[in-house]
Amino acid sequence: MLEEQMDILLGLLYTIFGNENWWGPWIRGVVGLCAMGAIMVSAMFAVWLERKYASDIQSRIGPNRVGGRYGLLQLIADAIKLFAKEDLKPDKVDTPVWVGAPILMFGSALLMLIAIPFGAFVFNGTTYPLAVTQFDISILYLEAVSAIGIIGIFMAGWGSNNKFSVIAAFRNIARMIGYEVALGLTIVSVVIVTGSLNIVDIVEAQRSVVWFAFVMPLGFMIFGVSLIADMGRIPFDQNEAEEELIAGWGTEYSGMRFGLAYFAEYIHMVLGSCIAVLIFLGGWNMPGFLVDLNIPLIGLLPAGIFLAKWVLVMMFVILIRWALPRIRIDQVTSIGWKILFPLAMVNLVWAAMLGLVWPW
Amino acid sequence: MVNKHDVKKRMRQLAADYIHEPQQEAYKLDDTEMMLHIGPQNPIQPGPFLIDLKISGETVRDSKLYMGYGHKGIEKILESLTYIQGLPITDRMCYLSSLSNNEAYVSSVERLLDIEPPERSQYIRVIMQELSRIQSHLLGTGEYATDLGFVTMFLFMIREREYVLGLIEDITGARITHCFPRFGGVREDLPEGWREKAIDVLAMINEKCETYKELFSSDRTYRMRTVGIGTLTKEDVIKVGLTGPALRAAGIDYDVRKVYPTLTYPDIDFKVQTGNNGDIFDRIMVRINEIQESCWIIEQALDQIKPGPLFPDELPYGRRTPSMRVPPGEAYVPVEDPRGEIAIYIVSDGTDKPYRVKVRGPSFALMQGLPPMLENVYIADVPAIAASMDSCNSEVDR
Repeated sequence: MLEEQMDILLGLLYTIFGNENWWGPWIRGVVGLCAMGAIMVSAMFAVWLERKYASDIQSRIGPNRVGGRYGLLQLIADAIKLFAKEDLKPDKVDTPVWVGAPILMFGSALLMLIAIPFGAFVFNGTTYPLAVTQFDISILYLEAVSAIGIIGIFMAGWGSNNKFSVIAAFRNIARMIGYEVALGLTIVSVVIVTGSLNIVDIVEAQRSVVWFAFVMPLGFMIFGVSLIADMGRIPFDQNEAEEELIAGWGTEYSGMRFGLAYFAEYIHMVLGSCIAVLIFLGGWNMPGFLVDLNIPLIGLLPAGIFLAKWVLVMMFVILIRWALPRIRIDQVTSIGWKILFPLAMVNLVWAAMLGLVWPW
Repeated sequence: MVNKHDVKKRMRQLAADYIHEPQQEAYKLDDTEMMLHIGPQNPIQPGPFLIDLKISGETVRDSKLYMGYGHKGIEKILESLTYIQGLPITDRMCYLSSLSNNEAYVSSVERLLDIEPPERSQYIRVIMQELSRIQSHLLGTGEYATDLGFVTMFLFMIREREYVLGLIEDITGARITHCFPRFGGVREDLPEGWREKAIDVLAMINEKCETYKELFSSDRTYRMRTVGIGTLTKEDVIKVGLTGPALRAAGIDYDVRKVYPTLTYPDIDFKVQTGNNGDIFDRIMVRINEIQESCWIIEQALDQIKPGPLFPDELPYGRRTPSMRVPPGEAYVPVEDPRGEIAIYIVSDGTDKPYRVKVRGPSFALMQGLPPMLENVYIADVPAIAASMDSCNSEVDR
């Protein structure tokens, strides 16, 4: 019975993700909308996870009222509160820029969705990624789209007509230039090894035991540091340092505009962890798990593996945030240019040598 | 006949000149500079003060400090109340060290009255002083950690502070404003079983402090933010009149408990904790060392304390009467507050109210120490430096 249902489910997934008929993209478009909803739920889960995990680290209880003992619905209560708040627009803000900024941040975070495969499933012995689209430059696209969010933050700081926000906006750009080069170079080194810009190909290249995190540990470390900087979390959250700049670029935002920007940051974190899993931690591959066996549920196992890795990476990112103090902006740029960038070049050379002998 | 209007105009002119002329000089900006006003009601501040930073990019070039937004007129209030009524007012000077404030007031009045509390009361007062120091340092260090974006540290410190507040609450019945010492004694005796409880808590605090010291000195991210930043040299600290941990961090071993010992401090063995460089890192280290030293002091006091009366036999006032006459004279008894030397200078004219009261608090000098440090530092260092001084804004202006 269960087996039959699983077959039906897998068949359905195959119809959506495995078919290359003329209507395939249309169906996937609809699925993309569902993915958008799902990623919002997962971002809400990320907020909950962060709150609970942070409270564990800090020996507190954390949210425990709304949504049962574990405070699962706390964020819904927060969202209702934010929606119910007055839409307050300060005098003398640069209205189109100021209003557009959270929308741009949110939009750019959502644009990343269409290129990311969220796991995979196995049907008739073939692995099909659960991606809305599969195009050949998806990793380049992800890099480009995630950088648009930086412009959103700059717009927010600039449009607020507030000195603290402007400082935050410029910090944001300085920081972005500092780490984005290293981030790009580590991604390029992965691309050199695999010879493809398609993120699905990159994951498939890690099919065997060797994940890129093991093959290029240096690259993985650089990527991790840059990614945390990209997400804008402590120790790299200089653009919203509460103690120096009140709330940085978000000083003048309140109500749902703030909520949108806040949520965009969490989506960024969720998707950033996702990319880290895909590029360096083998995506949905796990050596030792035989997905070719004819057992019910096993067809969905890759998706489960992916999800588990994803949550672990997110928990690591959260742990870093609550365990370290913030560093200064000049230290960020000096780390970016003096340490990460040269190391990324070294890693690039290593990747080029590796590419000669790949695949093993 | 002088026109009243003219006088007013002239006075306004004088005031404007006085305020604006030096300001305009300091506020002259070149093309790359900008003024950043922090305060007086900025959400990042613990209390009201205004600091104007002249910044060029991320670098602070110059700073001007304005205080006086939290003036409560406590000295004047003390002059209009009787001596006993004045005691609860001194609690309100600084919410973190109300026991030290009480102590400063009470010991000045005791010197005027020429009475001395019995030994047991003195030991209890020593214990309360040190407990107050522990909780103040824990909160101060925690708040400072938040200013580095290190929120977890703050919550750890607060967690430990709860136990110390519990100890204080067991004796005084209050957490913030205690109003505990009395002229010639203390209000309450140590409750039963308090000694054992206190020894447990102090052992725990001591152990945690070891952990924090290790954490602070080993964490590289933290050291990047603190070592060599916000340095005050020995000459600087003396020039601005600093006392307390900020002075000792610069390497000067001045401690009122050693230099002008009151109560039973001479019988107690403790070391004055000093630093070497006078930077942020040293100030925090001195505070954590002082917490451990305070634990040691309390343990000794608990060993040495003997049963006995809380008040001397002859008191110049009835225990329940709100007034007494104090012989004419003046008194200045310094006490080591968590932040430095505090003393309440009292002049008595023989009536039941003080003729003149002047508070010498540590926090004003701590604030004065800020502008020399805020030159050629980064904006991110400003809150860290300010918080590492641990000045109590409520007490700056009294």
